[in-house]
Amino acid sequence: MRYITNTKEQKEEMLKEIGVSTFEGIIKCIPDKVRVRGELNISLALSESELFEKINGISKKNIDFLSMKTLIGAGSYKHYVPEVVRTVVSYPEFYTAYTPYQPELSQGTLQNMFEVQTHLARLTEMDVVIPSMYDGASSTAEAVLMAMRLTHKNKIIISSLVHPHYLETIRTYTEPHGLEISEVQFDNMLTDISEVEKVIDDKTAAVVIQSPNFLGGVEDVKKYSEIAHSKGALLIQVVVESMSLGVLKSAGECGADIVAGEAQSFGMNLNFGGPYNGYIGTRQGFIRQLPGRIAGETIDKDGKRAFVMTMRAREQDIRREKATSNICSNHSLNLFAINTYLSLLGPNGLYEVASLNTKGAHYLRANLIKTEKFKGSNYPFFNEFILKTSVDIEAMEDKLVKNEFLPPLRVCKFMPTLEHHLLFSVTEVLSKKDLDRVVEIVAG
Amino acid sequence: MEYKVIEGLYYTKGDEWMKVEGDTGTVGITDYAQDKLGDVVYVEEATVGKKVKKDEVALTVESVKAASDINAPVSGKVTEINKGAVSDSKILNKDPYGAGWLFKIKIENPDELKELMDAKAYSAYRKE
Amino acid sequence: MKLIYEKSVKGRVGYSLPKDNFDGMQLEQYIPDYALSKEKKKLPEVSEVDVVRHFTALTKMNYGVDTGFYPLGSCTMKYNPKINERLAALDRFVYAHPLSDEQYVQGSLEIMYELEELLKEITGMDRFTLSPAAGAQGELTGTLIMRKYFETLGKPRHKMIIPDSAHGTNPASSAMAGFKVVEVKSNENGTVDIEHLRTLMDEDTAGMMLTNPNTAGLFDDNIVGIAEIIHEKEGLLYYDGANLNALLGIVRPSDAGFDVVQLNLHKTFSTPHGTGGPGVGAVGVKKHLKAFLPGPLICKKNSKFAFEYPAKSIGRVRAFYGNFSALVKAYAWILSIGKEHMREVAEMSVINANYVMAKLKSYYRPAYNRFCMHECVLTGRDYKSYGIKTLDIAKRLMDYGFHPPTIYFPHFEPYAEETIMIEPTESESKETLDEFIEAMIKISEEAKTNPETLKEAPHSTSVRRGDEAKATLEPVLKYTNDENK
Repeated sequence: MRYITNTKEQKEEMLKEIGVSTFEGIIKCIPDKVRVRGELNISLALSESELFEKINGISKKNIDFLSMKTLIGAGSYKHYVPEVVRTVVSYPEFYTAYTPYQPELSQGTLQNMFEVQTHLARLTEMDVVIPSMYDGASSTAEAVLMAMRLTHKNKIIISSLVHPHYLETIRTYTEPHGLEISEVQFDNMLTDISEVEKVIDDKTAAVVIQSPNFLGGVEDVKKYSEIAHSKGALLIQVVVESMSLGVLKSAGECGADIVAGEAQSFGMNLNFGGPYNGYIGTRQGFIRQLPGRIAGETIDKDGKRAFVMTMRAREQDIRREKATSNICSNHSLNLFAINTYLSLLGPNGLYEVASLNTKGAHYLRANLIKTEKFKGSNYPFFNEFILKTSVDIEAMEDKLVKNEFLPPLRVCKFMPTLEHHLLFSVTEVLSKKDLDRVVEIVAG
Repeated sequence: MEYKVIEGLYYTKGDEWMKVEGDTGTVGITDYAQDKLGDVVYVEEATVGKKVKKDEVALTVESVKAASDINAPVSGKVTEINKGAVSDSKILNKDPYGAGWLFKIKIENPDELKELMDAKAYSAYRKE
Repeated sequence: MKLIYEKSVKGRVGYSLPKDNFDGMQLEQYIPDYALSKEKKKLPEVSEVDVVRHFTALTKMNYGVDTGFYPLGSCTMKYNPKINERLAALDRFVYAHPLSDEQYVQGSLEIMYELEELLKEITGMDRFTLSPAAGAQGELTGTLIMRKYFETLGKPRHKMIIPDSAHGTNPASSAMAGFKVVEVKSNENGTVDIEHLRTLMDEDTAGMMLTNPNTAGLFDDNIVGIAEIIHEKEGLLYYDGANLNALLGIVRPSDAGFDVVQLNLHKTFSTPHGTGGPGVGAVGVKKHLKAFLPGPLICKKNSKFAFEYPAKSIGRVRAFYGNFSALVKAYAWILSIGKEHMREVAEMSVINANYVMAKLKSYYRPAYNRFCMHECVLTGRDYKSYGIKTLDIAKRLMDYGFHPPTIYFPHFEPYAEETIMIEPTESESKETLDEFIEAMIKISEEAKTNPETLKEAPHSTSVRRGDEAKATLEPVLKYTNDENK
């Protein structure tokens, strides 16, 4: 078998050196009772060509996603990924490497981390950012746990417009710790700030706001920071569509204490939901409570600049049950995607992409409303918006798919009271022509 | 490896030393402990007034590759902390028995002193 | 080597975008003042060529499995098959939106379903979730399941037994799941002290987390007794599958009495480590725990695949369904190994590790004097008298062209001290092992005759012994030299 290098003959030589006549001699301490009887009931090995045929065949049972133009977002955004990203992420010295425990052999990994830490710190205007957790949802959950540790309080206020998957993940992570969660409703696609003011008290650890929120709305994060701080609580901003950082004010500028985000939009394909890349950032005074790995700059024996993993005493291998988190492996390879993407785009490219997203989304919304088959009150949004429709949604979806458009999200799948509501996502991969075509199809 | 052990101090199995003057104990980590830890990078600022029982954690000390709970050798109340050590953690490596002291404790129950080791016993305990 | 920021030149362009045809549309019309940024954040301005050269240069400062021997114990650095990369990159997988209607993603769902079927057969467990993003997240998932199980019975339990030899994620995960960690000692054979375990297990203990072979690479042959002690008090036995590579086709965790199992697909099942992730921490359970798994799970109804949500689920641990591209790779690997070679993987990994131990045990005293499984734990403790630490041995190995093994883990005195844990995996050739052995022997001689060479090592790498204390005392966690102060 080509992945198992040694031959039968070499195996025999090695058994001799080990001092046994058969393999059984090495494992004789394993009780009979627990041993596998016979062979595992799995299929016989496939050759490479057979394997390709089989799995390629399975992939064909998916619709032709490459040809589809995507109108759905809701936490997973179809942006164009430049080909250089694929090149870089495919370098074997990156993807076949391990965690940089030996910095002398991992300066590539560590420098890349340091660069992404810089990109994200600038985009979020936070003092320090842990560049790779798992995904945005678990990063947000960790941010909540972090706020609880920092404030020694066990109450949070969370907007119901935080992504439903993220909300559920927070509940899972905090369930053992007796966290009291106040979920605040919304009004006109934005969190109801008056409700937050009513519910908050000095036992509140944090207020959690997602912006842009699940329905695409751009929240006034600064106002929430002020309310939170007035009661001694922290403000956690959740950023699910990080492309918004290209045009919107940063969490740091809006007074957030912790930012928890999803960087999928920076160079990662949809990949049926993963792997993406969660990040978490905070202010200087709170950095000891951050979970996750971080790279730091230092000098080596010869006075040369070198990068190492640092602030390790927060982590599980040293602190064990007192660690800030149990996280060990993260989503490190995606940091190469993020770094490549943001380096290629630079400040102007990022602004232009984000700009195209905003304009495209607003253009589509305006034209859908013109058809009079879509209705919705105005609210500020970035690249996602919600409209109520009178058309036969199933028929509309069929027509869209036939014309190679992946339909928008039926919001009732997540919010049962919002029937006949659709959440449209528009990114830079949809041209004006595409958007005109969409309007034609859904209205016609 | 010869580790420095000072006469006249009390010692714990967890490598803390305590100098007793009246009903006050001054506590720090031994030379063995600082060597095992490596470069100390962080000394937690303990709370003055904190009540601790014998062997309970008073504060935590971190190095690059380890974290160490510093336990109270006896029960009592933390009366003073060494802010110098908090701001310059390296002092624990440089002068563990002197300027690297960590906190002072008001001793609640002098009988507990009997359970601690003296310099000779500690040297034997940590003989390499 | 310069940072990408240090290569920035104002006005340089590395991207291309379609023309903005939205005439007359201004952002100010759509984004309110409270949210519209007044300035662009300072990112590097470089050309596409600059970027490609930058990352190519970074590769020259990195070492991967494709570069050479990577014997990190407990990490299972086996070969990452290239065909698996190609298959995960198939367009219909890569561009699939997770919220597409089920009818459009039958292929993706089939991959997940079939992978689960194979993992069930390999481990003997009854149901799997593929959603956890790493082994540690799998541990959190598994311990939360245990917690909910007892809660649902109306008899919540508050403690978790964990061996002193356990990987740090075990106690960390248990603490995150709300348990108080109770440590059980290891005996002089390197396995769980079963008498100590007996005194610890009670009706307030949810159960025990056990890695088998354990972190010292040793099979705990008391496994049947351990399972009895835990089950006798109606506790649950959790299997940390990080070391499953040693047992493929030889032992199924289910038969050994485990109720919950977490597998590391990026270890045993060959998906790439990617400089530290992403991985997959698939969690499998026996029937009585199925209802608590995080949803959604994949089911098959009338030959159509669909999502289903367990009735008493602990809830999601992440958004969407899992690290899908890694799932494709794990599935492809199992299909490539097949029935005939699965046991061979385990056998070869165990033989390779024992071979290294046999050849090096007179130079580096093993922590335990017995056969190991897929990894061996040697120690550098006999070189202390020359002023040499295991760290120095590891650094010197780099000069011989090898990535060092895992050092200082496991660590529990007095046996596992100054440890060097070597896991060759089944991918490694005898010749490479012989070269490694030769290098280690040379280093053992250098330690005695010329210890300075070790203390000053490595000599041949681009950086040498970065000052980690300085990095922690004076953290520099981002580049700031180009920012206006």
